[in-house]
Amino acid sequence: MRPTWARLINKPSFPPPKTKWFHLRSNPRVRQFGDFGWYLFVIASWLPVVVMANDHFFELTRINGPSMYPFLNPDKDRSLTRDWVWTWKYNAQTKLARGMVVIFWSPFNPETRVIKRVVGLEGDIIRTKPPYPVATVQVPPGHVWVEGDGDVTQDSNTYGPIATGLIIGKVTHIVWPLHRVGRVKWEEYAGKIRHSRP
Amino acid sequence: MARVGNYFLGHPWRILVHSFQTCALAHYVFNHQYSFGWGYGPSMLPTFLVDGDIIIFDKHHRRGRDVRVGDCVSYHIPVSPEEDGVKRVIGMPGDYVLMNSPGATSDRMIQVPKGHCYIVGDNMPWSRDSRDYGPLPLALIKGKAIAKGQLVGWKPWRWFEPVPNGLAIEESS
Repeated sequence: MRPTWARLINKPSFPPPKTKWFHLRSNPRVRQFGDFGWYLFVIASWLPVVVMANDHFFELTRINGPSMYPFLNPDKDRSLTRDWVWTWKYNAQTKLARGMVVIFWSPFNPETRVIKRVVGLEGDIIRTKPPYPVATVQVPPGHVWVEGDGDVTQDSNTYGPIATGLIIGKVTHIVWPLHRVGRVKWEEYAGKIRHSRP
Repeated sequence: MARVGNYFLGHPWRILVHSFQTCALAHYVFNHQYSFGWGYGPSMLPTFLVDGDIIIFDKHHRRGRDVRVGDCVSYHIPVSPEEDGVKRVIGMPGDYVLMNSPGATSDRMIQVPKGHCYIVGDNMPWSRDSRDYGPLPLALIKGKAIAKGQLVGWKPWRWFEPVPNGLAIEESS
């Protein structure tokens, strides 16, 4: 108990009362930056963890274009809100399957990300669509053939099969809007995809 | 010092959490700032040895940011996704490059497409590069080789030497 005169003039007690971080905050080297500096340090020490999680494990992504139109952003002409999806990034470049929705770096612009559906895996023979110069093509090793669901899309029919190293993540869940929240059922699309094994 | 020791002994999770944060910080440095690796193979022979060279990469140049013709870059090999390679950039988007080695049967040239680069090893007969699998998407570039060396000798400042841009135009004196 502090003496009465100290409590009456509200003099700060010394040593200060023990708080949660007392052991480290009582270190004079830490105290020189004050409480604000300490909390700033605590927040900053978690930033690399967030970066690592976003790089390699998961990320919340906003879908911003018409390329997956009936499946994502179905209200693109009626509202300004856009879909948010949950992207899983661990082992995203392996165990790919036809029908999966993936996000990858655009081959034409290395700073933009695009979302498409995997249509063919390596070795598949694909019947291409108009912009592509030849009618059928076999997907080379280490590549996949991706196409958007919508009509307004720039996909493998424009730039050819993409290397799996470009793939950032697989879209696993729709997070927003609320009436379509749920897992992405890519297996249902896998059967509709046209391809043939050699 | 005893206070810091008490801090780590005080709570069973604390040392775990701080190890995790330290790992994340190391991951950030190695993936976004600088990293190192061991080169292997004869494809870059005059520049990098067949085996034993340690190469330091500048990750600020990932995805082809500010990469110039003549830089050595590390990249995901498109046709074998588990491997990384180190080659020299000889063409950026829009440049015209030889499709085959100089002096080969055909002298066909192609224009490097948008968002791609053309990479070739220094040891051309023993290199698997863009002449085999075509132009490389810039987004597959992981970093730029800035230094090479071996941990030989007792003077750490002599271990590494910079990797020069092999195709820079030399200024005449």
